[in-house]
Amino acid sequence: MIPLQLDLLTTHYNYYAVVLLLGIGLYMLVESANLVKKVIGMNVFQTGIFLFFITLAYRTGGNPPVITDGGGPYVSPLPHVLILTAIVVGVSLTAVALALIVRIYAEYGTLDEDTLEQLYYD
Amino acid sequence: MIEHLPVLLVVLPIVGGTVPLVASLFTDRAGWPVATLTVFVHAVLAGLLGWTVWTEGVVSYAVGGFAAPYGIELVVDGLSASVVVLVGVVALGVLAYARHAGPHSNAFYSQYLLLVTGLTGMTVTGDVFNLYVFLEITGLAAYGLVASGREASSAVAALKYLIIGTVGASLYLLGVGYALAATGTLNMTDLADKLAAVGYDSTLVLTAFGLMVGGLTVKVALFPLHTWQPDAYANAPDSVSAFISALVSTVSAYALARLLFSVFTVEFLEAVPGARWALLTLASVSIVAGSALAVSQNSVQRMLAYSSVSQFGLVIAGFTVATPIAVVGATVHLLGHAVMKGGLFAASGVIERETGATTVGGYAGMAARAPVAAGSFAVLALAMVGVPPAVGFVGKWYIVVGAVEAGVWPVVAVLLASTLLTLAYFARLVERLYFAEPTIREEAAVADGGASVSTGMIAVVVVAAVLAVALTAAVPALEQVLEQTLPPLLNQ
Amino acid sequence: MTDVASIRPLLAVLVSAVAIPIILSLKGRPNVREGVTLTVAAAKFAIVASMVPGVLSGTVYVFSFGQFATGIQLALRADPLGLLFAALASLLWIVTSFYSIGYMRGLDEHAQTRYFASFAASLASAVGVAFSANLLTLFVFYELLTVSTYPLVTHDETDEARAAGRKYLAYTFGGGVAVLGGTVLVFFLTGTTAFTPGGIEALATADPTLARAAFALLAAGFGVKAALMPVHSWLPDAMVAPTPVSGLLHAVAVVKSGVFGIARLVLDVYGTDLMSDLGVDLPLAAVAAFTLLTASVIALRQDNLKRRLAYSTISQLSYIVLGLALLEGQALVGGLLHIPAHAFMKLTLFFCAGAIHVETHTDDISDMAGIGTRMPLTMAAFAVASAGMAGIPLVAGFVSKWYLVIGALEGGGLVFAAALLVSGVLNIAYFWPIVYQAYFESPESHDEKPLVEAVLGGRSVRADGGDAETVDPETEEAAADDDEVPDPQHIDHLGKHREDVEHHGGPPASGWDQRNWRGAESTWFMLGPILTAATLSLLLGIVPRGVVFLRIVETIVGSLPGVVL
Repeated sequence: MIPLQLDLLTTHYNYYAVVLLLGIGLYMLVESANLVKKVIGMNVFQTGIFLFFITLAYRTGGNPPVITDGGGPYVSPLPHVLILTAIVVGVSLTAVALALIVRIYAEYGTLDEDTLEQLYYD
Repeated sequence: MIEHLPVLLVVLPIVGGTVPLVASLFTDRAGWPVATLTVFVHAVLAGLLGWTVWTEGVVSYAVGGFAAPYGIELVVDGLSASVVVLVGVVALGVLAYARHAGPHSNAFYSQYLLLVTGLTGMTVTGDVFNLYVFLEITGLAAYGLVASGREASSAVAALKYLIIGTVGASLYLLGVGYALAATGTLNMTDLADKLAAVGYDSTLVLTAFGLMVGGLTVKVALFPLHTWQPDAYANAPDSVSAFISALVSTVSAYALARLLFSVFTVEFLEAVPGARWALLTLASVSIVAGSALAVSQNSVQRMLAYSSVSQFGLVIAGFTVATPIAVVGATVHLLGHAVMKGGLFAASGVIERETGATTVGGYAGMAARAPVAAGSFAVLALAMVGVPPAVGFVGKWYIVVGAVEAGVWPVVAVLLASTLLTLAYFARLVERLYFAEPTIREEAAVADGGASVSTGMIAVVVVAAVLAVALTAAVPALEQVLEQTLPPLLNQ
Repeated sequence: MTDVASIRPLLAVLVSAVAIPIILSLKGRPNVREGVTLTVAAAKFAIVASMVPGVLSGTVYVFSFGQFATGIQLALRADPLGLLFAALASLLWIVTSFYSIGYMRGLDEHAQTRYFASFAASLASAVGVAFSANLLTLFVFYELLTVSTYPLVTHDETDEARAAGRKYLAYTFGGGVAVLGGTVLVFFLTGTTAFTPGGIEALATADPTLARAAFALLAAGFGVKAALMPVHSWLPDAMVAPTPVSGLLHAVAVVKSGVFGIARLVLDVYGTDLMSDLGVDLPLAAVAAFTLLTASVIALRQDNLKRRLAYSTISQLSYIVLGLALLEGQALVGGLLHIPAHAFMKLTLFFCAGAIHVETHTDDISDMAGIGTRMPLTMAAFAVASAGMAGIPLVAGFVSKWYLVIGALEGGGLVFAAALLVSGVLNIAYFWPIVYQAYFESPESHDEKPLVEAVLGGRSVRADGGDAETVDPETEEAAADDDEVPDPQHIDHLGKHREDVEHHGGPPASGWDQRNWRGAESTWFMLGPILTAATLSLLLGIVPRGVVFLRIVETIVGSLPGVVL
């Protein structure tokens, strides 16, 4: 079994990057008290998912899916399209989140979640 | 035109939604009329679509002429048609409430129409990625609407909602990735076949199930992923609370059912009892924990939010039991809950405006000062408890019968107990409304509340209360619609 | 039996339901409002009565709302058993309505509109229970009955009333859940819930364990409203309601809907044969026998008159359940006949308690020595009804108990026959002292009555099964004379606003004044109903066949397959 695992390690390194990004993102999301950092964490988390999709599409020796330059195996175009959409969604979410944060800061004068919690429940 | 109905339903509100923004150049009061016109046409079209599905069966539509499974397919069967009609009707009803209750800005109505778009899209789509996009559109609009409250606390609630909601949606997207890796397709019907071909014990399929369903339970707000909900409902303006409490979780629960039946199918649930029991356990825990949390709330709106956690446990349990009769029950409860909960939020808004009462203690003796709203509140609360012949009872009856048929006795026990649990938090409120001395002085209430109540607002509350009982009469028709489309879905 | 489609069962239910909004809208015009109540009550009784001849000749009136759930109809069906309950409830509603007017106005109660509206709603639900054609319809009306009586229990709006209301809801909705569970099981086992004389056939072939479970759930669920022990304790607490409510609802309509549910369960869902096959008859009979004895003993320990009556109700309801559970022709007749018999007698007793309360604000038995001079007619009616309760001939209770005892002996249940007789003696023990001291003693000189307070007899401060008042009569009287101290244990309501200024029970300082026998003791609004109810219980005792109830009961039992009369 050990050779197989080595094999996994070398051929599927992209998934390690995905898991790492997801982990870092989730950790920031949960642990950081700063709202902006939370939003950054959210972005990192989403980036992990984007990377997952894009590397999913990859095919060794595949050409870009543009039909003009001769045949051959292409990488799958579908995930690229999907992630293009998802990135747009992600950007809109970030924009809304930042707008909310601006409003929260204007009102409460803090971005710290714990301080906010106290103000919020008073 | 009839064949374009599904896509029209999605396009219409999003186009309508841009109008108030453009109109802002000239007037800041264009939002309501535009939204009303759009939603009215939307509701009529939804009714038409529902009628078509009833008479002719499933309607499917290939967007842009690209045939499934390569293009995006919109599929409307009995289940989605009922939800689309619900979206149309509730959206119209809430507009009648919002006309006076506000918010009044053009931007609000643009977001409102965007939310209608997202909800309709989620309902009619037959493509799992498309579902993600509409899920996020729904989310974005809902975050914006929650934040439209005057107080800054609404922004905090909205941000909390946004972060948790995004994580849920992202998990769902990740699940879509796994499904795509396993099968190479995104079309729901196609996925159902190919997932079966891959094998239900495949790690990829199981992970995809876990992530997609897990992501959606965040949006449905099952315990313990419900934490965004009470803040969001309690801090949003009344109109928004009524709207999102009635529809956002409802349509997410519909999406979950769609995943269960159209993507993973009942065979998957049978082949992987672990998945079924996990979901049943989650639902049962949600029923109990949601009620327990609701009992301990002091704020009425937060209590109503926790009540949703509990009621959606009931709905998801019905869907997961997955016998035809349980699915009918879950659908009835899904639709009925939307009307009841929306009505309860609207009623609590009216009571707050008329008397200034927002807490369980403050509700004492308020029936005398807000008789119509209090009466409707009591009717809706009893309907939610499941007092027959209200619609809350019918849904519960079907779900329990289904659960007995399936022989899942622990779930049967929880379902039956849910009546008493629901009673526990609603009875104390109704008791205070009618049989206690007021704790809020009349002058104080007028000085504090001061906001007036329009006939439209009262009418919405009363109509919701009447519907909560009258919908029972519509159940046979609904059952018939579902029967046409559910047997293939449930493989009977 | 021939089924005839008819709208009359529906009308009987609806007539008081449509009256609710009318009553609510007449808030400012009490005379018209009460006029509506009386008209509707009369109309309801007329509709129900119009079905009696047909039903006696074997016709069953059926009304269906159409298919509702898969394989289940919401339907109404006026068969003999349903008609028995409906006729009883609607007849006594007329009597109670008159009484309510006297009582509510006599005490100048608050929220009278809500009171009369809830009453109409309760009666609509009760008749709905009576005419339900299947378990599901029955459940629907059973729950509606709970909801519509809740405002009556909490009518006082005091902490005590609210607590009683909460307890009431918790118990009855808990029972409702059990009924729902049992109904689902029956539906699952047989694919139907429709009542069939002699039992649903498919149940006989169903899995016996599940069938027993369903029976247990249904019996427990209906048992809550029938106040079977140990789920009886909501009933004494519910006595906080105004007396007409205690009289009609908590001695007739609500509690009998529970008993009625058990009757349906025994006769029309399981059937007598299947019940003995499953062996579920004996446990039910044992619970009933235990309840009727225990409740009689507890009744001895109550000094508050309404609470004593409540425990008496618990005991008497179990007579009916016992009669049903014995599965024997005579016992069934006795049990079913005890439904109207107990209703007439207990209504009389409650009305008397209410009249005493309105006129003298006396609630405790220990304060009632010599009250016969003040309220001669009332106490005479009380004496008649309590004689009936004890099963003394010429009053209704005798007839039903006669059948019951005969049935118990024929069925070989010697133990049960003994229990019935012992309970009869206990009935005398707790009713006779009240009558005796009312006429033959005076406030100044009366002996202590045997008020059993400790579990093993004797007197102690311990009070369970309710808060039996433990103050001895002397100090109680002192407290009563000293008008400023409200009695904290006060169970019946005086209208909380006047709690501290009103006179607090017992004779006035100068002793009871003498009133004549021509009705000077109270208003005819109260005396009329009292005497009517007492007369009805006498009629049922003297000419049981002349009053239609025994004939209905015989029709019911006669039509049961496998039961010999």
